[in-house]
Amino acid sequence: MISLAKSLTRITAIIRKELRELARRPGAIVSLMVGPLLVVALFGAGFSGQRRAIDTIVVVPADSGLPFEMGNYRDVGGEALRVKDVTADAAGAQESLRRGEARVLVTLPKDLRARFERGEQATLLIEWNEMDPVQAGIAQATAVAFTQELNRQLLRSAASSLGIESVSVGSPGVRIPAEVIASPLRLETRNNAAARPSFMSFFAPAVLALVLQHLAITLTALSMIRERTSGAMDLFRVSPVHAVELLVGKYLAYGLLTLVIAASLVALLGGALGVPFVGERLGFARIILLLTFASLGLGLLISLVADSERQAVQLAMLVLLAAMFFSGFVLPIDEFREPVRSLAFAMPVTYGVALFQDAMLRGGGGTPQWYEPALLAIGAVLFLLAAGRLRATMRATA
Amino acid sequence: MPIRMTDVSRSFGDVLAVDRVTMTVPQGALLGLIGPSGSGKTTLIRMLTGTLLPTSGEIRVLGRAPHEFPRTTREVIGYVPQDFVLYPDLTASENVGFVASLFGMFWWRRRRRVREVLQLLGLWDVRHRRAKELSGGMRRRLEVACGLVHEPVLLFLDEPTAGVDPLLSRDMWEEFRRLRSTRTLLVTTQSVEEAELCDHVAVLHRGRVVALDTPDALRHSIWGGEVIEVTTERPVEAEAFRGVAGITQLRQTGPRRVLLVAEDAGAAAPRIVEAARAQNSGVASIDPYRPSFSDVLAAIVERADREEPTDEAAA
Repeated sequence: MISLAKSLTRITAIIRKELRELARRPGAIVSLMVGPLLVVALFGAGFSGQRRAIDTIVVVPADSGLPFEMGNYRDVGGEALRVKDVTADAAGAQESLRRGEARVLVTLPKDLRARFERGEQATLLIEWNEMDPVQAGIAQATAVAFTQELNRQLLRSAASSLGIESVSVGSPGVRIPAEVIASPLRLETRNNAAARPSFMSFFAPAVLALVLQHLAITLTALSMIRERTSGAMDLFRVSPVHAVELLVGKYLAYGLLTLVIAASLVALLGGALGVPFVGERLGFARIILLLTFASLGLGLLISLVADSERQAVQLAMLVLLAAMFFSGFVLPIDEFREPVRSLAFAMPVTYGVALFQDAMLRGGGGTPQWYEPALLAIGAVLFLLAAGRLRATMRATA
Repeated sequence: MPIRMTDVSRSFGDVLAVDRVTMTVPQGALLGLIGPSGSGKTTLIRMLTGTLLPTSGEIRVLGRAPHEFPRTTREVIGYVPQDFVLYPDLTASENVGFVASLFGMFWWRRRRRVREVLQLLGLWDVRHRRAKELSGGMRRRLEVACGLVHEPVLLFLDEPTAGVDPLLSRDMWEEFRRLRSTRTLLVTTQSVEEAELCDHVAVLHRGRVVALDTPDALRHSIWGGEVIEVTTERPVEAEAFRGVAGITQLRQTGPRRVLLVAEDAGAAAPRIVEAARAQNSGVASIDPYRPSFSDVLAAIVERADREEPTDEAAA
């Protein structure tokens, strides 16, 4: 009985100690509770749950006799497609699709009327450049709906121009099959993406980007916090080492480490899981370095605001949580409202996910050209912030 | 003078950690800074190394204000902080090598110096052992090795022997005494025995330097002369020696033993014998008496308190 009482005394002492320690670190509790709440609140406020209309270019062959006015096509796409241009320049439209300026390209047949009159279906070509299997499926469904609507409008147009009682719309003696009357256009779809990855292959580069960002953030934040809390900073302050030297040393060490880990993971993904890698290795290494550079800066920023290793780990986990929600890893960024959508682009991993998928699965060139400079700019800003803060820390305390 | 402090004070909010300290440390000296915990020793060292600005007063170290040290000055200053700040997962030689690199030593010189300091501090045999696997004493020595590796001309050691066993502590102090031939050392300590090994001792009490001199001079200053122990053949009251010319203080330490403070022990000896005879006793011996340094320091602190009592004491 006495033994049990003593045991209870010890346990309650431990409980009191733990709770007191927690209570005396309000920052840790705040980041533990408010942080996830903030992420969820941002998600709730920013996620619309509605797909944005897909930017579409309609190519009308010059000698097709079909109208070029955008108003003729605007309603055809309904809410799913947004016709942003109607052009006769097929090559230019293809380039826009490749660059990601438009996600769907609709090419109308040049011989619609002639074929119809011959009792034949004309081919409506709808193309997209989408590696994401989910988005590719959505594009497919949208294309079918678009074709149905276009067929309906053509029939309506034919009815009004020819008269509902007339059935002879073709050349004399030509019988038009019911299928052609119902659907003058036959849909042909094409996904121009260089790779058609499986779900696992598609998400693997995104996971790699998330892992690298989290690794870089955690390693740097913990390393810097340790320098501060162990007293090593006092040694640095007395020694001739400069804040920039300290930062460059850390960046290079962790940059090299991250590069090695990334190379190993890519090899593992390819070798063990069969994830394709169609890109250029040097370009991919450049993207890894840019993502690492920016992520290390984020880690340093965390180390500057955290007062303990525990708080640094909590903040790193919060960034990971935010990255999962907002980086385009699971949900398309397009489906978020402003300003959450813009906030997503403040995270290095948002660019990392897109660039990794593009480089590994498509071979590059499929993301906006400003992504890499933006990643570099984020890294540079964070580096300058960290250098300034570290210099101030290493100066004599007033 | 490598170190010159003039009327230096440092406050943390309402707490005055260092109070109007004025002192100089000559070239090649081993200055011991002694005082109890919280007396301001570490604050003083941090101001001298440039990590803390004084609230008032002027500090010159190697001719410059510490917070404006250029790199060339920092390269010749060594600092061994109070707490263990080395990297637990690095080996002993990696830790020393890292600090040597921070101070800009190139690899050929670094390799030689790492070996030299590790051998000097008896750590060569454990050079491949990680710092976290070393004993407390070894870690402390490793930190001293880090402080010495770049051959600083001015070395600050903040309680370097704290937690080190007495035998090792003695060896380390022998090394500090040997080092002063080529450099200046400022060592903080709480140990009275260690303070006595310094060339000069500064006694810090409530943020103030209440005494600064050689250990012998401090002894002399606190007693106001030479202390001699008189042993008589028969019991004699100490009061019998009051009034003897040249004797300033007296204390009975036994029935036949009396401690006397004389301005000049040699001149006073015949008069002491004469006074004993007047009490019907012969003098068995007159020996110089060396009071323990802890007594000296206690007396210095008491004197400081008498001259400037604390608020509580005054109340």
